[in-house]
Amino acid sequence: MRYKLLFLGAFIGISSIKAQILTKEDSLAAGIISRNTATVISGYGSVKYKYDVNRKLAEANVDRVILFVGHKFNNKISFFSEIEVEDAKVAGGEAGGEIALEQAFIKFNLTKNAYLSAGLFIPRIGIINENHLPTTFNGNDRPFVERFIIPATWREIGLGLFGSTNKIPGLNYSIGLVNGLNSEEFQSGRGIRDGRYEGRDANASALAVTGSLLYYIKNFRIQASAYYGGSAGLSDLDSDTLKLSNGPFGTPVLFYEANVQYTNKGFSFKGLFTSVQIADAEKINNAYGNNIPETIMGYYAEVGFNLLSLSKKTEKNLTVFARYENLDMNNKLSPNGIVDKSKNSAYFVGGISFLPIKGVIVKADYVLQQTGAQNPNLLGTTDPNFKKEKGFFSLGVGYSF
Amino acid sequence: MSVIGIGAVVTQLSSCAPMIVFKGEVQRKKISVPFSAFTEFNNMLIVRNDQLSFDILLIKKLDGTFTALEMKCSHQDNPLTANKTGLFCASHGSSFDFDGKVLKEPALLPIRKYNVEIENLAIQIIL
Repeated sequence: MRYKLLFLGAFIGISSIKAQILTKEDSLAAGIISRNTATVISGYGSVKYKYDVNRKLAEANVDRVILFVGHKFNNKISFFSEIEVEDAKVAGGEAGGEIALEQAFIKFNLTKNAYLSAGLFIPRIGIINENHLPTTFNGNDRPFVERFIIPATWREIGLGLFGSTNKIPGLNYSIGLVNGLNSEEFQSGRGIRDGRYEGRDANASALAVTGSLLYYIKNFRIQASAYYGGSAGLSDLDSDTLKLSNGPFGTPVLFYEANVQYTNKGFSFKGLFTSVQIADAEKINNAYGNNIPETIMGYYAEVGFNLLSLSKKTEKNLTVFARYENLDMNNKLSPNGIVDKSKNSAYFVGGISFLPIKGVIVKADYVLQQTGAQNPNLLGTTDPNFKKEKGFFSLGVGYSF
Repeated sequence: MSVIGIGAVVTQLSSCAPMIVFKGEVQRKKISVPFSAFTEFNNMLIVRNDQLSFDILLIKKLDGTFTALEMKCSHQDNPLTANKTGLFCASHGSSFDFDGKVLKEPALLPIRKYNVEIENLAIQIIL
């Protein structure tokens, strides 16, 4: 009996070892080419301290901690998921904090260089939307253009085809079909950000198509992308009542962007331009009492230099950077829109990013924000403490593994 | 200015030679690529076999040696694309040099490098 128990224990032990979670190091270092299953855990996160120079007040916050779990069913099919906690805590009834799924999709490898994502995934729009790990961008805050105009991290439910072509080395493409937006939630000064469903009870009567071309040539990474989708998945009755066009692409939103990145010998440059067109902004404002413009525009440019690239003896990275951003949230108003220049912002951001090892980053930056004046004709939006110029100093750490 | 810029990009695209894809057979856990697969116009090609989940980028270096790299990103196993300056992951922005070493995160680990041998006027990629 004792030997039977020992044998059973050994069998369970061996089975457990075979089913254990592999780290990326395990699966790669083992040089395995034939193992068909693996579960991977990874993640990223960031914490920061922020001091408001004008108000002389400071806050500290765990901006986000993300846990990634992926599972490879076989060489063709995998599962990817990311769950995010923002602001460290979600307590019933209290403002702030968020627990959300950033991704949850099945990936089908169609060919050696093309795959299909099905589920909640991130379309290729802008730079930060896919490349949002804290170790991959400068500054404690993600670029403001890519928070308030391109609403990263923007994920919806649908199908996405991603691939590259050997006919033009370095050329990648993506096409996506996802659920549309909800124009009822569009807010003045926040673009389309609040109209995203992000996988929760999405109204899929409105649909959207996205597409991108991404080209790596020499030291350049050049991308252009576009989005066209409906924002009113209404019944015919509601459509008539609210006087908004429904259907898959009714009350459409058109979105496009182009960006270029250049990296060479420690020097880096990023530039991005984006525009959002909401043709039926007047009708949306009439229906919901919003103050949505017809056109929103934004752009930014950043330069950086890794001081430690001058030394060949270290893999550490100490980058000094400077970035200028411009957000024109009132670029073209609808006939019933009211200008609110306090929502237009220019940002000057400067700082340093230090990576002592890959996967860990320490950041320090200063942000100078300049906005337009408040419009006293906008009831309920004037703030006696409002300042057209604000300064923030931030210090933070981030990681990804 | 924007018209000139687009014209320049199109010219660049049309002047890039397609990447040669060599379909090799696996024999005794090796794939054999003849020297003749390389032309005077290309110093790298893609090696493909249905038994492999990802392509292999075979590079002929200036010193005449060869490097074989798996075209799989070490971050989240997405396929890599290659041009004359390196290997790139379009999914999350990682980039690698021609030794497989990480140049840009979020990938933290180098990509897989296969051992190669020269035998019978061919490059033998050892799987």
